Amino acid sequence: MVDSAAATTVRARLAAKARANPSVALGGVCLLLVLVTGFIEPEYLSLNGARSSLLQAAPLGILAGAQTILMLTGGIDLSVTMIATGSAYVAASQSSHGAAVAILMGVAVGLVVGAANGIGVAVFRVNPLIMTLAMSGIMLGTFTAWTQTILRGSTQVAPFIKELAAGSFLGNRLPYSVVLWAVISLILIWLLRRTGWGRLLYAVGDNETAVRLAGVRTWQVRIAAYIAAGILGSIAGILLAGRTGAVDLQLANAFLLPSVAAAVIGGTSIFGGVGGYTGTILGALILSVLTSMLTFLNVGQDIQQLVYGTIVLALAWGYAGLANRE
Amino acid sequence: MNRDSRATVVFNRAGLILSRSGWTLGVWLLLLALLIWYANLIPRFGEFQITSISKNSLPLVYLALGQAIIVIAGGIDLSLGALLLLSNAIAARFMADQPFGAVLVIALLLIGLVAFLNGMTGYVIRLSGVPDIVVTLATSYIWSGLALWILPSPGGGTAPEFRWLFTGSESGIGGTYVLPVLMMIIPATVVFLLSRRTRLGLSMYAVGSDSNIASLAGLGVTRAKVASYALGGALAALAGLATVAITGTGDPRFSVGANATLNSVAAVVLGGIALTGGTGLVLGVVAAGMILIMLNPILSAMGINPNNAQILQGVLIAIVMMIGGLVTLIRERRT
Repeated sequence: MVDSAAATTVRARLAAKARANPSVALGGVCLLLVLVTGFIEPEYLSLNGARSSLLQAAPLGILAGAQTILMLTGGIDLSVTMIATGSAYVAASQSSHGAAVAILMGVAVGLVVGAANGIGVAVFRVNPLIMTLAMSGIMLGTFTAWTQTILRGSTQVAPFIKELAAGSFLGNRLPYSVVLWAVISLILIWLLRRTGWGRLLYAVGDNETAVRLAGVRTWQVRIAAYIAAGILGSIAGILLAGRTGAVDLQLANAFLLPSVAAAVIGGTSIFGGVGGYTGTILGALILSVLTSMLTFLNVGQDIQQLVYGTIVLALAWGYAGLANRE
Repeated sequence: MNRDSRATVVFNRAGLILSRSGWTLGVWLLLLALLIWYANLIPRFGEFQITSISKNSLPLVYLALGQAIIVIAGGIDLSLGALLLLSNAIAARFMADQPFGAVLVIALLLIGLVAFLNGMTGYVIRLSGVPDIVVTLATSYIWSGLALWILPSPGGGTAPEFRWLFTGSESGIGGTYVLPVLMMIIPATVVFLLSRRTRLGLSMYAVGSDSNIASLAGLGVTRAKVASYALGGALAALAGLATVAITGTGDPRFSVGANATLNSVAAVVLGGIALTGGTGLVLGVVAAGMILIMLNPILSAMGINPNNAQILQGVLIAIVMMIGGLVTLIRERRT
């Protein structure tokens, strides 16, 4: 009797703690998944296992960062993986001009496409889902045509980009791409928490009319958000290309749904105004560990998709349950 | 005097219908213009072309109708393409080498099953408070995983009579245009009447417009939501059945489903249904789906490379939506 009462209070206290600090709950889920994966494949609980999971998480985390920024404004970018693929393609085809030119040209793709998305959404008021969907189709067609004309040539990535995406330092322990992700994370968190633009992203997502009446040019805030998302997409694409060593038009396709899922699991609302990048980082880590686990389980793609979908749904449900009880 | 006022009433009524369904009318006119253009573009335009356009549009039209109902009720379903895959896979696996009667029974059971599955999705959305887009994103993985489990590689088949039912020919080539056109008109009419002429349909509009106020007015929000998802699921199953009838096989590839979902959302928006929910007529969506399918033969008849066709399709959707956005912007400025 006393025991069960004590257990109830402990559980209530745990639930309260989880509600007050969702990151802790997410970290717990992540840890649990790591332990389960380690149980399946003991090798995983080593420096090598951690390194491979982080290597997987870096591009996903950066793509999910693009999604987070836009979801805070109430938007979404379904073209972000096409931006990633396109940037990787351009970077690969320009690799003969040196790594710096290649990377800059790649990032320029994200800049231009992001700006176009932003103008469509902010100035012409096109629904973000539709605008970025159409953009994704336009890009797929453009790049399919370009691969036979102006981008014909190298689909191999420059050695420097390969080193950046897959190489490590400190005795092969710390991958460069993870360091890059950490730097980007710090910048994003700083932007969202400490700068006026970051605050405006939340405000626009919460109540655009009020922000506009307060004298803010909301269209500029939105366009800047889409450009930032485009650039993040480019960086992720270049990392992905470096990891695989060569580019093709399916390069980043598989990351579209996980990029949205990582942000949602991390607690960013798809309706805007609520969330942040810390949660998204944990979401990306959880999904990457999950992918590793499913790989180790050595089951077919059918079961992988089933389990993946079920766990994403369960996590989102659990998170909503926590948020609703507040 | 009396006749005058009656004329005014009729005139006002016509004006009201025109202003309310202007977009729907516009989309149908656009389809008509495209058809005339296409007919002049190719050397011979006849029954074969009409059959081929109408039967190839069937899966997208069904899927878009399902998406339309769900969007009207305030949701969005990114798993419809995966449900198409699932129904396509189940149909191809179990209909192979069966007599027509058994195939029909399987088809009906399949429609019921998929409607139930998607109705459950709607219930989970309502119960959990997780946004529609997230839940259906997750279920899209589950359904396409299931499809791949049931039919691991492209294959399977169906009865020739079943192919005739959707395509007008037992081999899937040529044939009469009557059947594919009928198979488009009947479900579209049923869905249209259901959405505008029944209590359930109107409650979907109310819930999509504002679920809180609909709930305060005594409408069953959960019922409308679950019903809209179940109807969307049934139409996705129909789309999967049409696919197996047209191609004669099942294809469980993930990308097929993802493309179908995205096209269904595009058709809904092009058809004049706002993604915010609560407005729009499902009839425009039928024309929009056909327009999206027709672009390919038109552009290839013009000698345009299929890759450029994809670019043009994207540009067209973006431009139409930009015009729509500008119109609302100008209206807002005026008031």
